[in-house]
Formats: sequence, structure tokens, C-alpha cells
Amino acid sequence: MHARPGTHHPHVVQKHYSKLRENSCTISKLLMRKPSKRFWSILIVAVVCCYAGFLVFVGWAMRQPPETFGRIMSRMPMPAMLMFPFETMWTRARAGSVVVGDNAPDFTLPTLDHKSRVELASFRGKQPVVLVFGSYT
Amino acid sequence: MYILEAHPSDVWQMQSNIHDSVVFGSPRDEAERTNIAGACVRKLGIKFPAIIDGIENRTEVAYTGWPDRIYLIDRDGKVAFKTKPGPFGFKPADLETAIKKLPAS
Repeated sequence: MHARPGTHHPHVVQKHYSKLRENSCTISKLLMRKPSKRFWSILIVAVVCCYAGFLVFVGWAMRQPPETFGRIMSRMPMPAMLMFPFETMWTRARAGSVVVGDNAPDFTLPTLDHKSRVELASFRGKQPVVLVFGSYT
Repeated sequence: MYILEAHPSDVWQMQSNIHDSVVFGSPRDEAERTNIAGACVRKLGIKFPAIIDGIENRTEVAYTGWPDRIYLIDRDGKVAFKTKPGPFGFKPADLETAIKKLPAS
């Protein structure tokens, strides 16, 4: 018995349908199959590597000039900021080179009204000085 | 010591600053920084003397003062106390303790 032109032979159709059903069964079996230990190992390593990379990036950002750091942080979603130990990393990154016991770096800077200039060294031998660094924003 | 802005509107604007109407862009020269510093001192009622860091931020870089920090310099010109970097480390109460530990004149 021959198929009419433009159609498939019923036997061919049945063969294709069987193949399709076999493939879908295979896929279902794959989806329902319990992930292997190897799969979990690879997944965990990938997640750890991604997190480590993220920490390295954040640590690098914290050591950049304030404007660069600010631009990076302004684009970071808030949930991401909760994913790393910000305070600990920040304290380390911004430790600075001046430590207790060092000679305080000298400076000569204008007062707010620009009527005089203040030199830190002028206080030596006279009185202690408190420096409060900050800005309005 | 008035230094570069912590959250300028053109870099890292904070909603809390918008709420408090403290919205300033990064100053481009010392005059602009002085204007913002003046507003800060007036609005916050700061009584102690204010000095302005140069627009090159040399003093801030030397002291790693950004965004805020406190130093205590003793009579010999040495660093007697230094807070951790702000905002977390900015603790005036610790300064008070450090001042009390300074040797009397």
C-alpha cells in the first residue's frame, strides 16, 4: 500500500510518534532524576567562586577614590549590599596609612571665612587638636 | 575639616538627603566647596572652627578622612587617637575617652 503524494505513510508516522514519545520520556526522566553528587559539587564550587569574585570586586571598589567608589555603590542594588560584611571590609579598606603614634601630617588650610589660614604645626607644644573630617551630604 | 562630599547628587545621591533637602553636586572649585561648607556650619549650628580642604583633597587623602573621621593630635604633634572610618566608626564618645587619657599640661 502506497501513501498518497504529500502525505506520510502511516507506518512512518507511527515510527516518528514513537520516537517523539521516547524522547519526551527521556526528558521527563532527566527532570525527575535526583541530581548527582557531582552536580551539587559543581554547583557549590560555582556559587563559591562567584561570591569570592564579588567580594574581590567590592574590596577593590572600597579602595578606589571616593568618587569612583560612590559611582559603583550608587549602581549596586540594596540586596547586594547585604550579601557581604560591609563594615568589616570598609574598616580594612579605609584604614589609612596614619596610625596612632605617627607624626600627624601637617597642613595649612584656609578657614571657612577665608580671613586666615590654619597650620597644624603651629599648635605643637601648645595644645592638643581635634580634627573632625566630614561634609554636609 | 570640610572635605569632599560623601553623597553628592551627581555621584551617589541618598534618599535621606533628598528628604532633608541636603542636595549638592560635587563642588568644582574651592569657592563652591566653601559655599556648601558654610551652609553646613549654619544649618547644623557647628560652633568649632571650620577649615576647608583644598579641591585636590590632599589633606583628606593624607588622613583617609572620607566620608567622616575624627583624629586627636597631642601637644607633640603626634596622633593620639584615630576613629575607624565613618559612618560606622564615627564615634564622638570614643574621642571623649581619648581626650581624658591625654597627659595633663
